[in-house]
Amino acid sequence: MSVPDYMQCAEDHQTVLVVVQPMGIVPEDQFFRIYKRITGVSQVSIRDSQRVLFIRYRHHYPPENNDWGDFQTHRKVVGLISVTSCTTAKEWPQTSERFHGQKEVFGSTLYDSRLLVFGLQGEVAEQQRTDVAFYPSYDDCPDVEKRVEDFVESIFIVLESKRLDRATDKSGDKIQLLCVPFEKKDFVGLDTDSRHYKKRCQGRMRKHVGDLCLQAGMLQDALVHYHMAVELLRSVNDFLWLGAALEGLCSASVIFHYPGGTAGKSGARKPGVSSAADAGKRHRPGAQEVLIDPGALTTNGISADTSTEIGRAKNCLSQEDIIEKYKEAISNYGKYKSAGVIELEACIKAVRVLAIQKRAMEASEFLQNAVYINLGQLSEEEKIQRYSVLSELYELIGFHRKSAFFKRVAAMQCVAPTIPEPGWKACYKLLLETLPGYSLSLDPKDFSKGTHRGWAAVQLRLLHELVYASRRMGNPGLSVRHLSFLLQTMLDFLSDQEKKEVTQSLENYTSKCPGGMEVISLPDGLKLPPVPFTKLPILNAFLSLCIYTVLLFIDVCVCVCVADFQWVQGDVCEVQLMVYNPMPFELRVENMGLLTSGVDFESLPAALSLPAESGLYPVTLVGVPRTAGNITINGYHTSVFGVSSDCLLEGLVGVKSSGCMVEVVPSLPRLQLCTSLPRSAHLSSEDLSTSVSLQLFNGETQQLTITLENIGAEMLNTLELTSKTLSTKEKLFGEFLTWDLQDALSHLPLKSGQSVSIPVNISAKLDFSGQENLLHDLNDDGISVTGLPVSSPLRQVLKPRAENKPVGTDASKNEFNHVKTLEAVLTFKYSGGAGQVEGYYRELSLGVRVDVEPSVFFTRVSTLPATSTRQCHLLLDVFNSTEHELTLSAKNNQDLVLHASECQRYMHTHTHTHTHTLSHTDSSFICEMYRCLSG
Amino acid sequence: AEICITSMDNYPLYIRSIPTQGELKFHYTVHTSLDVVEEKISGVGKALADQRELYLGLLYPTEDYKVYGYVTNSKVKFVIVVDSSNTSLRDNEIRSMFRKLHNSFTDVMCNPFYNPGDPIQSKAFDSIVSTMMVQAC
Repeated sequence: MSVPDYMQCAEDHQTVLVVVQPMGIVPEDQFFRIYKRITGVSQVSIRDSQRVLFIRYRHHYPPENNDWGDFQTHRKVVGLISVTSCTTAKEWPQTSERFHGQKEVFGSTLYDSRLLVFGLQGEVAEQQRTDVAFYPSYDDCPDVEKRVEDFVESIFIVLESKRLDRATDKSGDKIQLLCVPFEKKDFVGLDTDSRHYKKRCQGRMRKHVGDLCLQAGMLQDALVHYHMAVELLRSVNDFLWLGAALEGLCSASVIFHYPGGTAGKSGARKPGVSSAADAGKRHRPGAQEVLIDPGALTTNGISADTSTEIGRAKNCLSQEDIIEKYKEAISNYGKYKSAGVIELEACIKAVRVLAIQKRAMEASEFLQNAVYINLGQLSEEEKIQRYSVLSELYELIGFHRKSAFFKRVAAMQCVAPTIPEPGWKACYKLLLETLPGYSLSLDPKDFSKGTHRGWAAVQLRLLHELVYASRRMGNPGLSVRHLSFLLQTMLDFLSDQEKKEVTQSLENYTSKCPGGMEVISLPDGLKLPPVPFTKLPILNAFLSLCIYTVLLFIDVCVCVCVADFQWVQGDVCEVQLMVYNPMPFELRVENMGLLTSGVDFESLPAALSLPAESGLYPVTLVGVPRTAGNITINGYHTSVFGVSSDCLLEGLVGVKSSGCMVEVVPSLPRLQLCTSLPRSAHLSSEDLSTSVSLQLFNGETQQLTITLENIGAEMLNTLELTSKTLSTKEKLFGEFLTWDLQDALSHLPLKSGQSVSIPVNISAKLDFSGQENLLHDLNDDGISVTGLPVSSPLRQVLKPRAENKPVGTDASKNEFNHVKTLEAVLTFKYSGGAGQVEGYYRELSLGVRVDVEPSVFFTRVSTLPATSTRQCHLLLDVFNSTEHELTLSAKNNQDLVLHASECQRYMHTHTHTHTHTLSHTDSSFICEMYRCLSG
Repeated sequence: AEICITSMDNYPLYIRSIPTQGELKFHYTVHTSLDVVEEKISGVGKALADQRELYLGLLYPTEDYKVYGYVTNSKVKFVIVVDSSNTSLRDNEIRSMFRKLHNSFTDVMCNPFYNPGDPIQSKAFDSIVSTMMVQAC
């Protein structure tokens, strides 16, 4: 016997085995329909005896297992039902012949047989035969069940007669020695008259009778017989049969204790019979027959006698004892190599019992033993079956990890290299079933909370196997999904080398089958949720979401969730993300765009390439809202390694916000600003769209032309211009910035594409006095001092410049920085289109920075007495430091024209007595420089 | 030989095995042995609630390894796998190894910067495990 029945359970000892086989050509689906109906008759109450016969049906049974029928009678095929198609009467004799042939296979053990003929009508079908039933078609056979029941009853009669026959064998008669196939040769030439031999025969026969009693529904009889058999066989050291007797004892006790059966849901007995009342009834018939010598029993008594309860309790094993006896039986079986299958099945039966008793530890010991039972050369299919059953049994006792382990082994067995046609589908299916055991779900959401906790190395292996199996199954979509999942959830556990390998194979797969965001449904109902690559690249949590508004048409970074700015319909808006690449190689992210809801949004995808293990890397995602309203930014989508993912912010680790709401206002015009001067770096303090800077000499005026072009789609209706001078300590004379907007306003409304120019005058009038220490010279020397060179360092600085010598050093220039800075911001407010109606406007600002240099220097100062004593002449040497001609004018004096880099003496008639007041007058010099237009 | 610490939710806090090439096999061994540990704990909970014995003894023998278990009062599990051929390690030795491991683990838990449930990265713990491994192999 080489084929174990892994589904066996203790109560199977109670059943009689009936084989249902198709004969000739029977459509498979039709056969199984009939088979199903037949198997529906799994227990039959026998008339007049209140006993129930249980039937086990098999549509396939290896004849060599039948040879063990004497050892345990439930292994014996006692009934055969053949199902055949027969359309014409001509075929009938042949069919009949075949049926006989089929009976021959199990001939020695069969009690009875039936042939179900489908499709035959007419004369042949009219004949009344008990062993043949004729039906016109597979659909028209209403009394199949009835026929089967009759058949079972006829089996019962044979069984009962055999039981009585054997049970009444007196010990004086010569008892035949029952033996299992491999024993037959051992007993050749043995002394059949020895006491030992006789006892052996008796013991084996007792055991056999016990089996028959159990099958015939006489539980208590069976127990008594088994007990006696155990005694007899133990005394002659007939271990194999002792084991069988012990197991029989266990089986009968289990049936008594657990009328619901031990096979679990699939093998559960019909509830109608296993209910408490029925169960009692079922065991009652045997109960009254508890006597020391069962050989003298009759079977016709019905009345229940309470005194038999004592006997029952004595004969039936306690729950604890059942396991002990199973252990003993198994250790006895273990002594025979050829009884491996019996041993294995006994282990399985014991485990099922223990599972019901919730004694998982002991069950695991039985299973552990079962693992090591060597059944010789197993076919690959048998190996798979064996591991699967082990897995199921471990599951049954709550050892989910162990169960997963064996299921995985079974899966690997499906695709063992020795198998010519590896069953990748079966392998994949089994692998999927192991997932719960490794506490792995295929939903990436379960992994998004905090750090990954689990058996990473083991889980990683399993995922790799899933990927491989799905690929070999020819389902690249599945491989991509599993591989994506692996990459997303196990990234922290992959070495650099593995990261490379995984991504390479992912790219290979996606080149055939790009990964997407759809849920993949497997045929068995499992759904594989999409795996967004939220870690490739990783969105940095701490910088959060940075959004650039365009309302101000200025880049403003705001790190909030409900944005305090608005976007404008029809205009490009930006969102900045800070991302980094955790991979040890360059990561190419394609088709990266925003995921939004609320407003029609046209996302303009970006492609980027992040260097290996980059630091934080800003990514700007742009898009255009097409309608006004509130828009919520939910996340972003990417395409990495050919897998497109939608990454929602709420699912991201560390990102607190679950989206960002921005108001989109109706469309507004948009202006582009350009100036006649080149752009410069932004001013320090303000956020500006653009800035210009220029250098002016004190007193110089320059015109700046600002050109505003309407680059939006809407018409520009209003335009305002304001300026703000940034706080400066310098005293400013006159207006710094002046403009005339009238001309520009006359051009309004400004259509799209049109532009308007606004001239802005920039004039710098600053006070540069008090920088030179002329007066000290004057004070020291008094009036008499004349013609002394002014020791102003400026002179030394400026001279080289005037003479165009490169001697002037930057250092000295910095040391005596005489350049003053003026800063101002020009702000344009404008509006138009639909947005204007709702009161929205845009701002555009221009920063102006002017570095003002002094245009003249006083290099020397001296005094001359004037004609009046109340007056004196003040002589000043004035140096024009510019490259232009300039006119110097002072109060009450004629203008003095100075050419470029020219120094002239300037005489000023002073009317005050004290020279000390010079400092005041000095400040009153207003140096106006007029630009020499000629250059 | 391998030493593994798992949290109360049965995910590993610390795994160390030598030689390292057969690591995955050890992982499988320890992972499946958790079934037995859980079963033993639940059994103890029912019958011997007051029992202070933390040592679970031999979880199960395989052909090549012996697997021993230990569980702290906070249901943190320690598992030690040793070679079956190593006869110098008797029950008592294993018991003392577990006790040492438990003491060291307690030190780790006392570290205010350690969050219970995080993988153990303590160097002190590592070195104690190393000396135990040398002893066990």
